[in-house]
Parts: sequence; structure tokens; C-alpha cells
Amino acid sequence: MKNKLNILLLSSFVLALTLAVWVYYQTTHRIGDIAFDENIDNSEFIVCNEDRITQYYSVETYYQGGEKTIKNELNKLINNLSFNESGFITFRFIVNCENSVGRFRVKMVNSDLKENSFKSNNIKQIQESIKRLKGWQAGKWKDESLDSYYVLNFKIENGKIVDIF
Amino acid sequence: MKIFIKIIKVVFTILLFAFSIVILYFIALAPKERRFKIAEHSQGLYFSQSMFDILKLQNPDYSDVYFEQSVAFNKRGEYAKGFELLDKAVELDPKLHLGYRGWMKLRKLRDFDNALNDFNTLDSLTPKFVDAPWGEDIDFLRGECYFGKKDYPKAIELFNRNIKNQKEDWADIYSFVYLGLCEYELGNYEKAISEFQRALKQTENVPESYFGIAKAYLKLGQIEKAKENILKAENNIHYKRDDVYNEFLNEIYSFEIMEFKQKLNKK
Repeated sequence: MKNKLNILLLSSFVLALTLAVWVYYQTTHRIGDIAFDENIDNSEFIVCNEDRITQYYSVETYYQGGEKTIKNELNKLINNLSFNESGFITFRFIVNCENSVGRFRVKMVNSDLKENSFKSNNIKQIQESIKRLKGWQAGKWKDESLDSYYVLNFKIENGKIVDIF
Repeated sequence: MKIFIKIIKVVFTILLFAFSIVILYFIALAPKERRFKIAEHSQGLYFSQSMFDILKLQNPDYSDVYFEQSVAFNKRGEYAKGFELLDKAVELDPKLHLGYRGWMKLRKLRDFDNALNDFNTLDSLTPKFVDAPWGEDIDFLRGECYFGKKDYPKAIELFNRNIKNQKEDWADIYSFVYLGLCEYELGNYEKAISEFQRALKQTENVPESYFGIAKAYLKLGQIEKAKENILKAENNIHYKRDDVYNEFLNEIYSFEIMEFKQKLNKK
């Protein structure tokens, strides 16, 4: 009887602990979170609060003059790059609380919105161009600048970048 | 003492099992609508996605789950996964989800042709009914698609149809702004001015209209009127049409107004 009770207590503890750990992990991780990866990320780019990186639309992170300005500033790149097919290249990165950008990740889809890949050299060039942009404005909450994730789409049609948004 | 320890053990065993049962109930056994709400309100968390996965497993035909699960992916630019889920929602209930999918293709991806396909298919499924994907008139959205495609005559047709659907006083003021922009692109500057003014009849705070009017007056060589309107655009810029998620096709910025103003001052 004593043994049975101990086994029950142990089982209930293991089950509760497993569920608590699972729930904790599930409620502290989000889709699209970008953890630092020493193999691809610049270690000089730091975020102000690793535990509180929000989404751009929650804190109104923006680029001065909007995507229209980005289009103007990347005009040379737009005209020079050529691609073999159509689709969308989407960069997701962090605008930190000091208006710097880093931790780039890229997703690509074709015109049917299925996963795809474009020339890696082109991707690299676009990424470097985004890094050189100077008008990022960190999102704010109650006057406090925050780190946030931003999403920038490049639309490719007939072998050229036709839009950035 | 032994009895006391035994009681403590029993109490803890009950409490720990109760905790697990409550968690499991909310994850897998509660009514599906209740679990859907929990998952919906924790959008983006792994927890939300796991809840949706369990709901899909138990209710493979529950189209809202696929739709709602797609939202977090699309907001984060993971369109392959987001649209895979949304496609499934459309497959299960086209009338309910086609409009949203078209709206997403238009506003998130500026994928005008595919957005139009979705809006047109939805329209064909709901004869004699004016659809409102994600709360916006379907003809307004189709007009935006044609505007994005630079097919201005077709855009004018659709924006006018939207105004007819909604009636002049109730139509989205940006229908008139878009009409003005289309007429401007077609070189019909006087007509453009009158279309922009229709928006101003609803409210005086439409910087897009003042900016459009200023540009049209410049084309007509009426510099003073252009200056007068660009000043109004500048003063009303804080009323501009914007959105925290995406830039609108007709979005204007302060820097454009200032550049235009400088250009006018040199005349």
C-alpha cells in the first residue's frame, strides 16, 4: 500500500512537471522568433532586451518615409539585380532599440506562394543593402524604445524587383 | 506522524493529478469553440499553434482553425506555411474564407492577379450579394487590385461600382481618392480634381485629396491653386491613410509633400 502510494505520488509529480515544463516552453516561444546564431549573425549587433523582442506592428516600428523611401534608396539595386523567376523574397530581421538592424532571416516563395529559392548572391546583395539603410526607427511603448521584428517583402516579376513593401 | 505523512502524500497526489487533468482538459477535451478562443487569443505562441494542431487532429473539417492558424505565419512573413493553411481553409469553406485570402494577397503581398481571382470566385459563389472581405466592399478591393495593376479604366469602373453599392455619402472616402488618382494617371486633370473633391465633401481632413488636387492644378498650370492645396495637404498630413501592418498603395508621406512644395515655390 505504501509502495503504491509512493508510485502514485511520483507518477503525479512526473506528469505535472512534464506538463508544466511543456506549457512554460509553449507559452514563452513564438513563431518567427530569431535566436542569435554565431554562424550567421554579427556578434556586434546586440538587442537591448533578449526576452522582450516584440512585433513591428505592436510598437509601430517604421522606416522614415516608409517603404516608398526604401524603394527610392534601393533604386540602384532594383535596377541591377535580375532573377530567373517570379515570386516574393521576405526578410525578417530585428530593429533594435538603437535603430540598428541585424539577425536577418529570409523566406522565399514563388508566384504560387509555395516555398522556393532565388539566387543566393542576389539575396546577399539585398540583405547588405537593407543593412546600409539608415532610417530605421525603433518601435516605442510609453516612450521607451524597444527591440522588434520587422518584415520587408521584395516582389519579383519578370526577372526584376518590381516592388518593396 | 506516519499517518500525517501519508495524508500529505495523498493530498499532494490528488493536487498534482488535478493540475494535470485541468491542463489536459483545456488542451484536448474542452469544447472545441472554447479551445479555439484560447488559441486565437494567444496568437503566435507555440502554445496556440499546438492547440490548433490538436483541434485539427480532432476536427479535420473545422475550417476556422486552418484560417486562424495561418494568421501568425502570414503576419511574420512565413507565407508558404501561412497560405498552405489558408488554402486548406478555402478548400473546406470557400464562401467563408476566399474573401480573406484575396484580401491578404492584395494587402500583404500586392499579388493583384491572384487576389482578383479570389474576389471573382467569391463573387460568383454569392450571386446578388455584395461581399465584404475582411469588412471592405469587394468592388473597392477589386478597384485597388486594378489600380495596382495600373489598369486605370477598369479600376475606375470598380470604384464607381463600389460607390453605387455603398451610396455616395456612405462609400469609403478613399474610393473617391482612388478615382482622382486614376483620372490623374489618365491625364484627365480636371476630372481628377472633381473626384478628389468628392472625398472632401465627406470630411475636410483628407490630405491625399489635397495632394492630388495640388498635383492636378500644377499640371493645369494653376500654380496658386496648387500652392493653396499643398498647404492643406501639409496641415492635414496627420489624418493620412495608414496602417500598422502594411503600406497602402495610395499612401502619402510628409517628405513627398515637402518636396512638391519646394518644387512649387521655385515656380
